[in-house]
Amino acid sequence: MLDKPASALRIRERLIESERLMDETGCYDGITELELRNQDPLKFETLHTKLRAYCVSAREMARRISASPGVREVGEMVVAIYTPEGDAIALSNGIMVHVHTMSRFIKWMIRNGYEENPQIRDGDIFANNDAFIGTVQVPDVMDVVPIFHSGKLVGWAGAVCHELEAGGITPGGDVALAQERFTEGLFVCAEKVGENDELRRDYVIRCERNLRMPIYWVLDEKAKVASCIDMRESVKALIDEIGLDYWMQVSKEFIEEGRRAQLARTRQLTVPGIYRGHTFYGHVTAGKPGYQPLGDPNWLYNIPIEMEITSDGKIVMDFEGTQPWGYHSMNCTPAGMDGGMFVTLTQHMNFEGLVNDGAWMATELKLPHGTWTNPDNEMVATATSWALLLPAYGVFQRLLSRSFIARGFVEEAFVGQVNSPMIEMGGESQYGTPFGMAHFECAAAGSGALAIKDGLDTAYVGWNPESDMGNIEIWEQNMPMLYIGRSIVPNSGGAGKYRGGCSFLSTWLVSKTDHLRLVTSEHSSRVFDNGGLCGGYPAPTCQKHRAVRDSNIFELAENGAPLAHHTGTNPYRSELEVRLEGEHVTLEGPYITAPHKTGDVFTHSYNGGGGYGDVLERDPVKTAWDVENGFLTKEAAEGIFGIVLDEDEEGFPVANLEATKRHRAEMRAKRLARAKPVSEWIAKERERVKAADFAPEVKKMYASAIKLSPRFTRDFSTFWDVDAKSTFGVE
Amino acid sequence: MTSYSKEVIADLVAGTLPWPQTRRIMSAYKDDDRFFKYVAVLQDRVGWKDPILLPVGDHLFICQSGDERVTKCECGHSFGDYRRNWKLKAAIIVRDSEESLREIYPNSDLPDPEWMEIREFICPQCGTLHEVEAAAPGYPIVHDFEPDLEGFYRDWLGKPLEPLNKGG
Repeated sequence: MLDKPASALRIRERLIESERLMDETGCYDGITELELRNQDPLKFETLHTKLRAYCVSAREMARRISASPGVREVGEMVVAIYTPEGDAIALSNGIMVHVHTMSRFIKWMIRNGYEENPQIRDGDIFANNDAFIGTVQVPDVMDVVPIFHSGKLVGWAGAVCHELEAGGITPGGDVALAQERFTEGLFVCAEKVGENDELRRDYVIRCERNLRMPIYWVLDEKAKVASCIDMRESVKALIDEIGLDYWMQVSKEFIEEGRRAQLARTRQLTVPGIYRGHTFYGHVTAGKPGYQPLGDPNWLYNIPIEMEITSDGKIVMDFEGTQPWGYHSMNCTPAGMDGGMFVTLTQHMNFEGLVNDGAWMATELKLPHGTWTNPDNEMVATATSWALLLPAYGVFQRLLSRSFIARGFVEEAFVGQVNSPMIEMGGESQYGTPFGMAHFECAAAGSGALAIKDGLDTAYVGWNPESDMGNIEIWEQNMPMLYIGRSIVPNSGGAGKYRGGCSFLSTWLVSKTDHLRLVTSEHSSRVFDNGGLCGGYPAPTCQKHRAVRDSNIFELAENGAPLAHHTGTNPYRSELEVRLEGEHVTLEGPYITAPHKTGDVFTHSYNGGGGYGDVLERDPVKTAWDVENGFLTKEAAEGIFGIVLDEDEEGFPVANLEATKRHRAEMRAKRLARAKPVSEWIAKERERVKAADFAPEVKKMYASAIKLSPRFTRDFSTFWDVDAKSTFGVE
Repeated sequence: MTSYSKEVIADLVAGTLPWPQTRRIMSAYKDDDRFFKYVAVLQDRVGWKDPILLPVGDHLFICQSGDERVTKCECGHSFGDYRRNWKLKAAIIVRDSEESLREIYPNSDLPDPEWMEIREFICPQCGTLHEVEAAAPGYPIVHDFEPDLEGFYRDWLGKPLEPLNKGG
């Protein structure tokens, strides 16, 4: 192989040349003029629409090959077409976060001399799920195939599915117990896994022998390969039609057009300036089984973001001041951070025009080295990157939304996404066979409110805007648990003039197994990991886990007695405690315990979104509807929103507008009487800060941020008029 | 070019535009003349004459007030020079106990007040709740937005602001 250096450098040189041209001209691949677009705009647009249609149709076809309910039911898949250098030209709907992570994967292979060894040939299939090469987490397995035409590499087709089982230390894919890379599961590191359009048998055998439920992964591989081949053949046929030279030029113009459109859209929809926001995440593992004592067991993560919109329309996001990486599964690689940016932009700004990697090129991420956003150690685990990634990009959505509000595009302002905690399981199935699965109904959280209406109830997640919780019956086929409830959680959206979308809670009866391991992740402990906007409150997102072991549910069922179908609205005594006898368990943090068995009951709640605007401005009539339909309780309507509800003859809630007006006037007066000047609060609080009178985890958070970030140190010191370093004992 | 009447923009901002129409606006090409119509709608809404230069919240505006540019509540209360953080001149309620958090979160599990508090920033004149922060105790108050006001008017809107007579 080493006797062919010219060949080995061909694509790599082209990649380097492309990047040099971008540096020199500021335009993608040096495309300073959109010549083909100017020559024939209709042909230009039509071709891109065709490419997008190839992607959408290939994904839909693949979903029907897959055996995984994650892909079939919930649509956890995306496909895209790339340039030879690995830049996305067109993409499907689905988990769009991975369009750019796949781009990194292709570029990684090019930079690492893959053209020389293992060689890139027509019919090859390459796979990857290594986040430091280009993905978010181990279950996000991507396959790409090169597209050759007339003997020349003319592009790539790629596909990603989120696998429901990745073979890690805990079952599923969001491996909560992973504290280093080595426990996350089966890694495929930019590997050639097939030739001549066929997956290698030895690769399939490796999957079959290292996964708890290989059917999901292996059939998803076949689905992805089928979709890639489908896109490849469509692109080749298109090149036959339009000519190779035209294709090579137009594919690059599509991306440059996407870049320009993003800059133009930013100038059209936003206001230049500096925007700031933050959120937090609590990770509590003290005393939980399985965690190695590699560091402090409990973490409080601060996630501050400073976003600058420059006068030319570029969006720059800076994560300085956030926390270091840790021995847990929540670290994220720059690829994942890029992906988060990409999927957010595609939802919020690129709703018209050409959607591709050009949008990402009009942005910049500043990811401080050594933090969870850019670990300086490639052995770290990233299995639950979403735990920090989703709250972070929820902040981004709020920052963007403030700019939309300033500019007048209130219909685009959106309080943003939330974490939607994952439940995963494994052990012995209801069929008596080994199994493992991530339950993907989490793909249907509540969304943040909009600036003109309430958020979506149980219908949005940031990573896949095509959200779906899947059918109960399908999930029941795949796990030894039966649903005894799937309920809207009242008051689970953040309060506000427009409330956040509500979440739901599932209640299951463990059935036909003596060994069911349940594990949860991406569930913040002790702090809310979201926010409100313009006076709206955050959604209550630090729910604990509730289970009943050895319950008497079969006895109750036999006697026709009422069962518990949800946890109810009494925070001090849940419906499980009211209705069921057995060993009641309430736990915070990741749920990792001894296996469950038939007769146990488990509940898992997802998250609602943050609210928008002052609660005292909420529409009383809409609120009556919310109470009638279980989204709010009557007590919350009156106590939080100041809305007095009467009942009509049939017992349905009706807003009493006069009483509401009076009650709100009283609440406003009480609010004013209770509030104190911020200056007064700062003076008092400063004494606490000077004494560093905080919980150990809070102190550790400050010390870590101060150690890593001069800006955080300066801002903290200036705000409180203290020496931040000496206050927290940082050298 | 897409354009909507001031009445439509007013209804959109008020959240009273029928959903099918709102949905069409969301899906259509954006209207380039939105900003000044939006400001005109807001100017009609407030009970004072100082020209609004930039909305920065649901009821918060940067406006030209004599020789100064200040952040103002819809009620007319001024939080001072727009370049400074208006929150520092606001009134505040901090929810840092189970009892006070329970008032807003009646049936959910609560944050640990040792780890997180809810800060409500309120207009000291009318009591409007302008912003809520959920933060760890001791976390500096965030300055949410520092707009490049002059650059926005000059470079993006093509209508430069009159220079200020004095610094601020």
